[in-house]
Amino acid sequence: MDCGRRVQEMEAPNNITIKGMLGLLSDAADEGGKKLISLGIGDPTAYSCFYTCSAAQQPLLNALNSRNFNGYSPTVGLPQTRMAVADYLSRGLPYTLHSNDVYVTNGCTQAIEITLSILARPGANILLPRPGFPIYGLCAAFRHLEARYFDLLPEKQWEVDLRAVQHLADHNTVAIVIINPGNPCGNVYSFQHLKEIAETAKRLGIVVIADEVYGHLSFGENPWVSMGVFGSVGPVITLGSLSKRWLVPGWRLGWLVINDPDATLKTPKAAVPAIIEGTQEVFFRKTINILKQTSDICYQKIKGIACIKCPCKPQGSMAFMVKLNVCMLKDISDDIDFCFKLAKEESVIILPGIVVGLKNWLRITFAVEPSALHEALRRLNSFCQRHSC
Amino acid sequence: MENGGSPKEWRFGGNKGLTHASAVTVRGVINKLMEKLNADDTRPVIPLAQGDPSAFPSFRTTTFAEDAVCAAVRSANFNGYSSTVGIPSGRRAVAEYLSKDLPYKLSADDVFLTIGCTQALETVITVLARPGANILLPRPGFPYYEARAGFSGLEFRHFDLLPEKDWEVDLAGVEALSDENTVAMVIINPGNPCGNVFKYQHLKKVAETAKKLGILVISDEVYDHLTFGSSPFVPMGVFGSIVPVITLGSISKRWVVPGWRLGWLVTNDPDGILMKQGIVDSIKGYVDITSDPVTFMQGALAQILEDTPSDFFEGIVSLLKECAETCYERTSEIPCLTCPCKPEGSMFAMVKLNLSLLEGIEDDLDFCCKLAKEESVLILPGFAVGLKNWLRLTFAIEPSSLDDGFQRINAFSKRHAKKQ
Repeated sequence: MDCGRRVQEMEAPNNITIKGMLGLLSDAADEGGKKLISLGIGDPTAYSCFYTCSAAQQPLLNALNSRNFNGYSPTVGLPQTRMAVADYLSRGLPYTLHSNDVYVTNGCTQAIEITLSILARPGANILLPRPGFPIYGLCAAFRHLEARYFDLLPEKQWEVDLRAVQHLADHNTVAIVIINPGNPCGNVYSFQHLKEIAETAKRLGIVVIADEVYGHLSFGENPWVSMGVFGSVGPVITLGSLSKRWLVPGWRLGWLVINDPDATLKTPKAAVPAIIEGTQEVFFRKTINILKQTSDICYQKIKGIACIKCPCKPQGSMAFMVKLNVCMLKDISDDIDFCFKLAKEESVIILPGIVVGLKNWLRITFAVEPSALHEALRRLNSFCQRHSC
Repeated sequence: MENGGSPKEWRFGGNKGLTHASAVTVRGVINKLMEKLNADDTRPVIPLAQGDPSAFPSFRTTTFAEDAVCAAVRSANFNGYSSTVGIPSGRRAVAEYLSKDLPYKLSADDVFLTIGCTQALETVITVLARPGANILLPRPGFPYYEARAGFSGLEFRHFDLLPEKDWEVDLAGVEALSDENTVAMVIINPGNPCGNVFKYQHLKKVAETAKKLGILVISDEVYDHLTFGSSPFVPMGVFGSIVPVITLGSISKRWVVPGWRLGWLVTNDPDGILMKQGIVDSIKGYVDITSDPVTFMQGALAQILEDTPSDFFEGIVSLLKECAETCYERTSEIPCLTCPCKPEGSMFAMVKLNLSLLEGIEDDLDFCCKLAKEESVLILPGFAVGLKNWLRLTFAIEPSSLDDGFQRINAFSKRHAKKQ
């Protein structure tokens, strides 16, 4: 078997979600005796070092106590919330968003659902990254929108294979999805690469869906740039939320934003405006510092494990991809087998890469409190040694 | 930044099915009426069109509910993702809450927490939709069912509710409509838009009819326990051993917090038929790929359901009763309006418009548009709920505003009365 051969390409199984797989792994782990440590989900709220700030909590409590927000909102979102999100996102753009460009959604998940629903029509197809975020494929399938996958290239910092994109697209292609900062790869695209993506999309006549749920969570060389910066090249739909930057995925507050400056523009304190305005840089900085620290820990420790290879040091978001060399392990057949045995023997949860589109890779999340991370990586090392040939 | 010329054509376009689906919704029609409002009229607008009394001081929710939510937020235990079916404590709490009125005990696994009753409705419609299937909906009804069914490609057929029989279901009509592709029928109890409350015997007949036809019953009980007439509220789940029932509900109406977006879809199926037919797996599959209610709301749910003192509920119900009486009496004083059945529950009454007694009014939409313009009163025209030339009135507003509203409706009717 040629283990040096490039990753086997496989379509992501179209019936498993990340939460679904992690649920199964947790069940397997229950049989073991150790305390469970999950490096599986992009939700760090279990750890106190990742608690949200009072600048977020207090406006929420104030809004509740005001009793002004117990009724139905307009279906597009409260005007003050739309305005606050428009102002917030405009800070990183060369033009000003109008509040009418903003639709408030129940987390970024609902923004994804809506975007795919509006683009779906008989015969249409959408271009999705592999590896990627499985909800896109699942939602597309559910809406009879054909999904076609283009590769992200590990040897090029997980950049988009633009030649493949051009090859895959046809007259029925409606959109391309870009996740930046990247989930699951932990990459942050350069300004130049984003520009190339925008120009490619324009040439193909398709819209760019920019999933920026991890927006601003970058700690590497490339500063994070919003795809909306290229909104005058071609239209962009930006998806985002409070979930990651404010560490509150359970609050379900996201947005779908139309970045289309060539077509538009010139226009009682709810919680979101106050949250966005009031949160200090020092809170954001703290989160990023912890993520940088934990991503470093992961990267360094993984280097010491022979059967696992990390092609690109993570630059942002909360997860990164590492390649599993199954040949170096006895009695482990693939990534799923690896993860189930790891869960059972060591009570450590890691997501098998097949769930995000790359078989025999692993997605490791590093949004974990440092001491728990150290322990988990120690157990991972011990597991790999035990199973090595 | 250079701009290298537009492509020959943009390949994406809007989804016409969506634009079509939202054409007749309650909020869509209300938005249209609001455009007619006269900006120079300094009087406050009287909103008798939408069922959301949360802004009115008399209808304020209980501090127990607010405190429960604040405690959940402060605990910092609910900032993370919930499980897609809902957090265990929330599911358990709903199971216990609903079991109080059932002859069997629900388990937490029968409960799916949703983003309001709206998402519960979306879920059940989506799960049942398959090519060629059809669903039976009440007329008049709640137009969101038609919108979602249409969008999911599920054919819908309407059975009548009979005003001469307290808005009961025309069961003969249901049997005539149904065929081998019918999958379910929907009942809304207490009724929106009719304000009726179905009797035990009638619900039993509905269950028996559904069983005979081999279809399940979707019981929309979002207005549960909001009854103030002679008929007590009976949950359809009571008949779960006759026919499988899916109950939809939320805290929105009973706690007057529709903005909190916390509802449920519950399977009342002691014989396990829904499981065998694959419905439960489909529900799980759908909630796995859709968004979830706010975690801290779920976290507060047990406390909200268990600890709210009964005098809060009694207060709301007696207020609704008072408003319903006012609505019924004042309507009877207006010749061109007839309310065939005094409302017994929910927040609405259906009132028939007698156009022959009016001059220069074409239909229900025209009546409501002119009323909005001339008197700054908003009423929902009946076509939006399936009955043209009727009106749906909300009586769940501040009593003083209700009085004001009827005075203005009276003045409007006199002004437009046909000269004898």
